[in-house]
Parts: sequence; structure tokens; C-alpha cells
Amino acid sequence: MSFDHGILHLADWVGNVIMPTLAAAFIIIAILQFSKAQEFAHSMYGALACLMVSGLTRAFETFASQAAWNNPDLYWLSIVTLINWVANVILPVYAASQVAAMALRLGVFSLVHPTSGWLRHFVTAALCLMVSGLLRLAEFFVAQGVGGLR
Amino acid sequence: MATSQLLNDIISVLLLLAPSAALLSLVVAGVSLRREGNMTFAIGGGFTKWMFWAVVFLTLQPLLSWFASFGVAVPLPSGSPGGIATGWLANFQTDVTQFVTNFVVQRMVPTLAAFFVLRAVLDAASGQHPLPSILAAMFLLGTETTYSLLQSYNTGTRYATVDVLESLWNHLVGTIMPITAVLTLVGAILNFATRKPFLRLVAVSLALLTVSAIWKLVNSMM
Repeated sequence: MSFDHGILHLADWVGNVIMPTLAAAFIIIAILQFSKAQEFAHSMYGALACLMVSGLTRAFETFASQAAWNNPDLYWLSIVTLINWVANVILPVYAASQVAAMALRLGVFSLVHPTSGWLRHFVTAALCLMVSGLLRLAEFFVAQGVGGLR
Repeated sequence: MATSQLLNDIISVLLLLAPSAALLSLVVAGVSLRREGNMTFAIGGGFTKWMFWAVVFLTLQPLLSWFASFGVAVPLPSGSPGGIATGWLANFQTDVTQFVTNFVVQRMVPTLAAFFVLRAVLDAASGQHPLPSILAAMFLLGTETTYSLLQSYNTGTRYATVDVLESLWNHLVGTIMPITAVLTLVGAILNFATRKPFLRLVAVSLALLTVSAIWKLVNSMM
């Protein structure tokens, strides 16, 4: 019996036994929230994340091994890699879901009007695909303002 | 003037009792781990203090060799139980060592750990987090293994104390912290699902996986 083995098996048990069970609980909560017209996305995505603890751990390990263990920039590199992953992998998928939501809105309401919800989904999808561009635009504005007011 | 045999025997007894004191320090460290009452242990708190004393007791003889370099002769006795000429002192040393090993470590510590498991359940019932009690129970159950680990880090040189502390840091950062990163990630997921702040835990999880690099970063800033 050692502390290392104890805490390792605790992490295994929580990640592989408890979290998949909690995923079912979060799906139930999401359904109940949906029935009451409440925001249910957190519970729904939380349930998915509960089922992906091992995968997310491997992803975090990959983020944290972008350089040698003694490289002072490793923490910064790991955060940059995490942000890159969110911006270049997760957000494009989210953009696709927003396009689908837009199509559903248009199909259900058949009302092409700037104030209806479809436009918000469309703009969100576009913004999700333009994160790098938006960052470069912000950097450009800041660079232009380096000289101060003229 | 020659040191009297009784004095030599007393020194021998104290040196031979140092490993038992190290074991007791580890037990108290485990209790302190829970008493500090948080999800994390406090650097500089009771847990680290008793861990430090455990290391000091374990490396007492190499540490005493520093006196020779100061110019103070420390003629240490042989230290073996057979070397204690005074009968009642030899018996006292054997009895105390057996008491610590057979009574405290093998019987009392597992019972104490069991009480901490019960406390984890009661903690949860009172709205507190059960994890600190569980971790304390695990630490107590692993007392003997932790002691063996510390012994394996003992280089026996006059730098043995810092060698053990350095090796402990490496073990903590290289073995324990990556595992706690998983627990932190689980906490982040639960916080996200229950709409509590979770980004801090994501950043902490990455930090726990890169503690060595952060150490190098701090060094490079100096």
C-alpha cells in the first residue's frame, strides 16, 4: 500500500467509474431543464465531458508536452496549444452546429428577417471561423495606436 | 577524558530511535494533512513541517557529520543494538521500536485511517468536501511505504537531508502532481456542468503537469 497507488487508483475510479455514472445524471438534469425552457447546454456538454475524462486527460498531457520538461516556456506553450485547439478544432465544429441551427430556424419559421434568430446563428458561425482573423484585426488596431493620438 | 559507557549507550539509544521518530512524524504528518482542512496542503504548514522532521530523523547520523567539518569531533557510537552495553537501555530501545512498529504503525494507523474514511462521509454530509479526509487516510495507510521511499532517497552523505528533500520534490512533481492534474480536470468538468467557475481549474491542471517547467521559468527570471 502506497500513497502513489492510492491516489492513482482514486483518479482511475473517479474518471472511469464515477464520471460516466454522473454523465447519466447530467443528461437527466439537461432533459428536465429543457422541459422547463431553462438553459441546458452546460448539463448536456458536461455529460459529454464526463464521458471523455480519459480523452481530455490525454489531450492535456499532449498540451503539456509541447517542449522539454525543463523548458521555461512549457506552461505558456501548453496554454497556447490549448487555445489553438479550442479555436481551430472545437470552434469550427461549433460553427457547423450553428449553421445547422440557422438552417433549422429558417426552415421552422421561414422568416428571413434580420431580427430573427437565424442571423445570430449565422454571425456566430462566421465568428467561430474567424477567431485568428479577429485577433490579427485587434493586433492591427493596437499597432496602429502605438504612436498615440495624432 | 573518555566518554562514560552509559553516556555512549544513551547516544546509541537515541540514534537507534531516530527511525521510529521518523515513522511517528509521518503519522502526525498524515493527521496534519487533514487538520489543515483544505483541498490542498499548505507549504509551510503542519504537514510539511512534520515531513521535514521525518526527513531530519531519518538522516540524523549523516547530518551530525557536519560537526566534524566545523572542527567539533562527534565520536558516534557504533549504533547497533548489540553495541548497547547497558542491559536496560538495550531493552528500552527494543521495546520502543517494537511499540512504534507493531502497535502504532501496524495496528493504530490503519484504524486511524478508517476513522478518516468515516470522517469523509460525515464531511460530505455536512456540506464539506470528502477528498481531504480520503487523502489523509491514503497517506496514513501508506506510512510504511513512504518511509521506505524516504530511506531509498537517503544517500548517507552529509548532504543526505537535502538530497532526500530534493528527491521528495521530484517525486511530488513527477509522480503525484500529474495524477492530481486528472482530479483537477474532473473538478473542472463538474464545475462546468454545474455552472461554477472552471477556467481556473483548467489552468491549474495544466500547471500541475508542468511544475518543473514553471520552476525553470522562475529560475530564468532571477
